Amino acid sequence: MRISVELVVTVAVGTALGYGIDSWLGTMPIFLIVFLLFGGAAGVMNAYRVVKGLDESVGLGGAVARKENAEGKKDRG
Amino acid sequence: MAEELVPALEESVFDLHPPMHQFEVRSIVPIEIGGVDVSFTNSALLMCIAVGLAGLFFWFATAHRSVVPGRLQSVAELMYEFIANMIRDNVGTAGMKYFPYIFTLFVFVFVGNMLGMLPYSFTFTSHIAVTAALAVVIFITVTIIGFARHGTHYFGMFFPHGAPLLTAPLLIPIELISYLSRPFSLSVRLFANMTVGHIMLKVLAGFVILMGVAGVVPFAVVLGITVLEFFIAALQAYVFTILTCIYLNDAINMH
Repeated sequence: MRISVELVVTVAVGTALGYGIDSWLGTMPIFLIVFLLFGGAAGVMNAYRVVKGLDESVGLGGAVARKENAEGKKDRG
Repeated sequence: MAEELVPALEESVFDLHPPMHQFEVRSIVPIEIGGVDVSFTNSALLMCIAVGLAGLFFWFATAHRSVVPGRLQSVAELMYEFIANMIRDNVGTAGMKYFPYIFTLFVFVFVGNMLGMLPYSFTFTSHIAVTAALAVVIFITVTIIGFARHGTHYFGMFFPHGAPLLTAPLLIPIELISYLSRPFSLSVRLFANMTVGHIMLKVLAGFVILMGVAGVVPFAVVLGITVLEFFIAALQAYVFTILTCIYLNDAINMH
């Protein structure tokens, strides 16, 4: 449920963003296609975060580091 | 049960009580300003009831303040502690400035979800217009707070420290889209959970009538799912609030 929402929503947002840039710059359909793919990538990234149980703040690298940090503390404690 | 009988019965039961009927927005007091329909609907009525109920509750709960709290007062204190701890854990003490907003959000969504569990009532959180409005306000607020506190450094959040500079054109759009999709994901999660639960209850309740004596089975399931729905109503209010805290944390303590 969470994952499906993330996948659909990010692709939709990416497409909308690409469409917006395209109609602004008049470069249809270059950015539409590029941002559609970026949207898909973002969706997969968010799905990965859900599966891995990472926090939802901005930045995947930071989220991974924080989780490892928290688990390290748990192991020691 | 005869197979030809089922579709006919099925139609009649679900025609009489369509599962989607409960989500219908009906206008109670039709108002039109400048060609825009701003009627007072059942959704608006339920929102007013939710606000009134929450207001009355906290008014009564804090009317006779004592050191040893009474029943109502301890419920109010529990809720306060719950949200205050949530903010302290997720945002830190700097986030306590925004306590009133987050507390209001939690109470509004919680009471809305719970009111939706009453029979013949209406769940305003099952409409994406309502949840999206809440989520967009949260998103804009958080973004403004972020820019107000960090200025243009707030953009730095989209590019993680230590990543090779060459990956920037790839990483920044992805993180940006992920950031922009937050209000949608926030609103869809609350709306979808509430809608799905209520449709499921209605459809299963239809099976109770359909199956005659064997309807005891779906009846037991409906009973269980009703309890589950109360749990989900509370849980989704919690999820909505904690996500707001996490977003606020990003804006206040940039990583």
